[in-house]
Amino acid sequence: MSRPSGASDKRVPTYCYQCVAGPDFLTVRVEDGVATEVEPFFDAKDIHPGCGRACVKAFGLVQKTYNPNRVLTPMKRTNPKKGKDEDPGFVPISWDEALDLVAEKLNAAKAKGLTDKSGYPRVAASFGGGGTPTSYMGAFPAFLSAWKVVDLSFGSGQGVKCTHSEHLYGELWHRAFTVCPDTPTCEYVLSFGGNVEASGGVVGVKRHADARARGIKRVQVEPHLSITGACSAEWVPIKPKTDPAFMFAMIQVLISEYGDKLDLKFLRDHTSSPYLVGPNGYYMRDAATRKPLLWDERTGAAVAHDTPDMVPALLGTYTLAGVEVGPDDQVWHHNAVDARPAHQVLADHVAEYTPEWAAEICGVSADTIRRISKEFLDHARIGETIEVSGRTLPLRPVSIHLGKTVNNGWGGYEACWARTQLACMTGSLEVPGGTLGTTVRLNRPATSRQASVLPGEDGFMVYPWNPTDKENWRAQPQIRNAHSTLVPLVANSAWSPALGPTHFAWMAQKHAPDKFPKSTPPDVWFCYRTNPAISFWDTDGINEVLSNFPFIVCFAYTMDETNHFADVLLPDCTDLEGLQLIRVGGTKYIEQFWDRAGFALRQPVAGVQGEARDFTWISQEIAKRTGLLEEFITAVNKGAAGIRLFGEGWDFSLDTKREHSVEEIWDACCKAASAELSGGEDIVGLDYFKEHGYKVGSYDRVNWYLFPSLEDQGIRFELPYQERLTRIGRELGNRLHEMGITWWDTQLREYEPLPSWHDFPGIWETALEKNFNVDIDDFPFWLLTSRSMQYSWGGNVGIQMIKEVAGNIAGHEGIIINAQMAAELGIEDGDRIEVSSPLNSTRGRAVLRQGIRPDTILMIAQFNHWKTPLAKDFDVPSMNKLMPMLLDLTDATGSGADLVKVNIRKIGDAA
Amino acid sequence: MSAPNSHVGDPSKRWTMVADLERCVGCQTCTAACKHANATSPAVQWRRVLDIESGTFPDVRRTFVPVGCMHCSDPPCMHVCPSTATGQRADGIVTIDYDICIGCAYCAVACPYQARYKVQKPLSAYAGAKMKNEAEREDPARLGVAQKCTWCADRIDFGLENGLTPGVDPRATPACVNACIADALHFGDANDPESNVSKLLAKSHTFKMHAELGTDPNFHYVYGANTLDDPAGTEMARTVDKHADLGVKPWLQQHWDWRAAGNFIGGGTGGGLAVMGALAAFLGTQSGELHLAAMVSMALGLFMVFLETGRPFRAPLNVFFHPQTSWMTREAMVGVVFFPVTLAAVWTGMTELAWASGLLGLAFVYAQARILTEAKGIPAWRTRSSLPLILSTGLTEGAGLALAAAAAFPVALGGMRETLLWGLLALVILRALAWIAYRARLQAGAPEMTNRVLAAAHPGILIGGHLIPAGLIIGALLFTEQAAFMAALAGLVAASVGWAMKFIIVVRASYNQGFAIERVPSRGGIGIAGGVQPGWQ
Repeated sequence: MSRPSGASDKRVPTYCYQCVAGPDFLTVRVEDGVATEVEPFFDAKDIHPGCGRACVKAFGLVQKTYNPNRVLTPMKRTNPKKGKDEDPGFVPISWDEALDLVAEKLNAAKAKGLTDKSGYPRVAASFGGGGTPTSYMGAFPAFLSAWKVVDLSFGSGQGVKCTHSEHLYGELWHRAFTVCPDTPTCEYVLSFGGNVEASGGVVGVKRHADARARGIKRVQVEPHLSITGACSAEWVPIKPKTDPAFMFAMIQVLISEYGDKLDLKFLRDHTSSPYLVGPNGYYMRDAATRKPLLWDERTGAAVAHDTPDMVPALLGTYTLAGVEVGPDDQVWHHNAVDARPAHQVLADHVAEYTPEWAAEICGVSADTIRRISKEFLDHARIGETIEVSGRTLPLRPVSIHLGKTVNNGWGGYEACWARTQLACMTGSLEVPGGTLGTTVRLNRPATSRQASVLPGEDGFMVYPWNPTDKENWRAQPQIRNAHSTLVPLVANSAWSPALGPTHFAWMAQKHAPDKFPKSTPPDVWFCYRTNPAISFWDTDGINEVLSNFPFIVCFAYTMDETNHFADVLLPDCTDLEGLQLIRVGGTKYIEQFWDRAGFALRQPVAGVQGEARDFTWISQEIAKRTGLLEEFITAVNKGAAGIRLFGEGWDFSLDTKREHSVEEIWDACCKAASAELSGGEDIVGLDYFKEHGYKVGSYDRVNWYLFPSLEDQGIRFELPYQERLTRIGRELGNRLHEMGITWWDTQLREYEPLPSWHDFPGIWETALEKNFNVDIDDFPFWLLTSRSMQYSWGGNVGIQMIKEVAGNIAGHEGIIINAQMAAELGIEDGDRIEVSSPLNSTRGRAVLRQGIRPDTILMIAQFNHWKTPLAKDFDVPSMNKLMPMLLDLTDATGSGADLVKVNIRKIGDAA
Repeated sequence: MSAPNSHVGDPSKRWTMVADLERCVGCQTCTAACKHANATSPAVQWRRVLDIESGTFPDVRRTFVPVGCMHCSDPPCMHVCPSTATGQRADGIVTIDYDICIGCAYCAVACPYQARYKVQKPLSAYAGAKMKNEAEREDPARLGVAQKCTWCADRIDFGLENGLTPGVDPRATPACVNACIADALHFGDANDPESNVSKLLAKSHTFKMHAELGTDPNFHYVYGANTLDDPAGTEMARTVDKHADLGVKPWLQQHWDWRAAGNFIGGGTGGGLAVMGALAAFLGTQSGELHLAAMVSMALGLFMVFLETGRPFRAPLNVFFHPQTSWMTREAMVGVVFFPVTLAAVWTGMTELAWASGLLGLAFVYAQARILTEAKGIPAWRTRSSLPLILSTGLTEGAGLALAAAAAFPVALGGMRETLLWGLLALVILRALAWIAYRARLQAGAPEMTNRVLAAAHPGILIGGHLIPAGLIIGALLFTEQAAFMAALAGLVAASVGWAMKFIIVVRASYNQGFAIERVPSRGGIGIAGGVQPGWQ
């Protein structure tokens, strides 16, 4: 029964980080020792930009805790045969037996060496949710660190289901692993398929609602009318994957029609726009210093890029002497050669990309493109300033937001570049109101974008490229997706393995690439909080690969499609059962930039169900049984659990010679965290965090913006011209060709100094025709997907309440198709239809809507479950089964996009 | 006349909820928060958010619309409630007393916002297993009775007792408002000009859903700020597009099924038979058989509705609690008088009692008709045209069966056959006219599916229930050698088609009101657009 909220039931504070748009706060009401109700954390109203609220997913956590379908004892497989159609024969076992079994396999692997005969790590691990599992796996990273060599390359969606191009190019250009508008100040957002109202979490939703109340205008450009499209001022139904053409035309309009109204100061002083480009496409450089040259209008001479008081030219052609430096230190010497500033090169480059040209490609009128271009410029308030924390900064309240399928795979580079270049042209990059990055994952340190801004070569930020020179290029892939071998841009941080060509790892298991080491299955594969047998592409193909993995350890919540292939199931404590401290605030993913920074605790709110165990306990037990206890505790001390236990003036390091209770470990973390926050002045332990839930300090808003860090150090944004990237790409090509590898040649073509239009939809059509020997005209529809706020990242597809409430939003029950098109095909709402791509077929109910292009159909989220309890009875399809993994559909960053051509056939009437 | 439960709450307050459609993103966090706060069963959503499309590709709008109990100032659910379980506090909150409610679901079909639920048996999220949280929060009092949003009245009362301000202090505020991540939901006292909701309403363009029904909800929708151009003149478009509008278009009500139809059939025929019994008494014919048949028919009807109630053991008493406004109470009261009077008429043979029985029968049919017309949630019922149709068919059915009875009991009733034939002919004509008028009124505005169902039934009803009986009656009047058979056949056909017609109206054509928005928010765009009423024509 409902009870007054004021009753004295216990309310336990905790956090929700089920999706990358978190973390958010919540409290759980506990009655008679039972968790009954999730509520906002009202006490955190003033420190959390989402006012202490959590989104709908957090409300699934009570059912998640008490779900009768949970795996609540360790289990082992009794059927040695693996396959979708094989019964695993799981039987319950004790924790001792389970841990011994895991340790036995790990010790055997270690005895043979950490890497196998192909040079690949014998132990692999996959985690889902854009890094969010880290906030639930306790001290497991300390075990991984203690083990030292772990292959994280088997993706479960990352690379193909993320904004991959933005992750990589965003980090290069403005330390922006994720990008968003400065929503609290922005006044005009142009969103290409961005779905912030579904993917932006509590903070994103709140900020955009506030922005609408302020009068922000958002134009949503996408093939179907998403949640975000619904909340926008205007919907422009563009053809799938043609977004770069739209933005190229915007650049063309702005340069050709409003060239003198651009933020010329920003372009001159803060970008590479004035850098002179030589005849071979590389910067003209001073022969002695090798510094890039600019044309100083004041002196009428070429000067180095860091010359004080110059007025560099943006347009024109200039004759000068100098050198160009190409790949592998190839040098061209010029005594008197014509060179153009990069901005002039850009103007020439985009001259053909008129709105009329783009209109044909995008299915959007030239007038609309031209109007939106002008609106974008008009809202930029070029010349205005704003004071933030006592510092005067440019105010440029315009931004472009890119959605997932726009922002990965072929065309992703072009879209990302065009978006960032448009920001440069309006001076709106990393300034108040403009386009911001919110976190770094490839650059270091991960806790501060500002600290990662260091002067590098040519006046740009330093970037941790993977080497492409002859001496240092990693010809031998470190891990199975070959990230550091094939993708210089992906760097080599702890996150990089998951951002390489993740489907490459799966593909290579079936067909080894020519002249590459044979891709062996890992001896031991850990899988946590992810379900690649559902969430990756070509799911039938994934099943085949998993069947060949010799030993799979799954941390299991319920039975699911991936742990169906497991050898051991370990039931870890779920969200409301485990103990963990994480960092909150500062700037994190998506729109999570706060005025506070600190730490929050996740804690058991009402005991633990069955034999589930805290992840930190499990981690330490595995470390102990593999002889790595000392290394494990050492890693914890060094910060592998999220906070370094020692600092200047404090040391809460744990004794590395003995094991520690879960509470001891996190108590030390709490003390170290509070010490870090207070400079050692205000030390509090686990009890404090359990009671209060969090502890934070202030975070200066000026740190939302990267521009001041660059300005202070005289560093320029590396746009528009991609000289460095092109050189590195050419070097990579040289290395691969020296090895006789030509299967990456198509990808090498992406390394262009100024991106061009390449008929991106046609790339898909051609690849499908070539690889499946089909006539693409037989597959007339584009199949897309879209974010479901209720499900995404949550691992909550087996939770009844989520299914129930998600059902209120159209599309969760079937396949969205344009109503008029459906009528032409004789399909009525609710009819059963079969959707076939050249790879595979799937079935579901037709959901007729007006808000989708007639040439496009849509399958929301990722369903098609066949094992997960409850979800297996949904009868809702997923596009993943229809998506082939093809090298032809893999871009230079190793990314693909959720896009495939399909046909539709009615197979039955509505029930 | 004070409303049930009006002694509770502060009469100086007028609690009001405001949903800002410019802000709502349809995330369903409020839906989930409500389910938590109120521990509602699976598939029961006191609060939910609709996903409504309007327009045609490529000019399409999509609007997210929170709905639930609107806590109407003039709540039809309360007026119809026979037990006074549904009440209205002095502060405007519409309440349900689970301990009184008989679970007749009349309130559910009277609510044009589809806000009410009835759960007969305990439901678990996972079949066959009750989770700990479900066991902790289960409430047997809520089984078999009506339930709906309470605006978390317990929180409001707690807050007021502790000096908190509902709508401002979370502990005094409905859970859905607290949880709303878009700040789209607002709650407060509309009587206080300084309250949050008063200020918001003062500066915004707003509408109330289904305002034309006169329920005066205390739930407002904001669709634009006052800086926008005056949107007056933008019309709401009714749309019958075949696209999916999940839970938005009218759907077939599930609260009243064949058992409820049985009440209208048995009760209407019984009432009609009682009138015929009175006619027989007036004509000096023996009327006992007709009165006995009337009692049996009416009793069967009432027994069927008894089967439909969620709390049948409370129903026989609690159904009488609300004669002030509830036609179900009035029907029951008429019934209670009808049976002894009619029995006495049969027992004593007194003409005056027979007339009284006839009048009560007529009153019973009238009450039934009014039960339908007061069901504001069902367009096929609430129309004024239901009244002559239900009255005329009840009398037609009574006359029809009386003719059949006259054939069966020629000695007792044969004398009134001709009168009955002329009477039935007149009633058949009246009913045909009533049917045509009823359909015409619905065709002017009703759920598309309602009209589709009625259109499919129309030929059968008009020809089978009217032309054929009329032909048979004329035949019986002209051809005296077959008169008894033809008259009986005419009566049976006229009656049975009347039953079928009522079954169709109660069970098959009873699509609910569905949802509509009067305006579509601009979301910062080119301006406010006209609204949409999906599934209506």
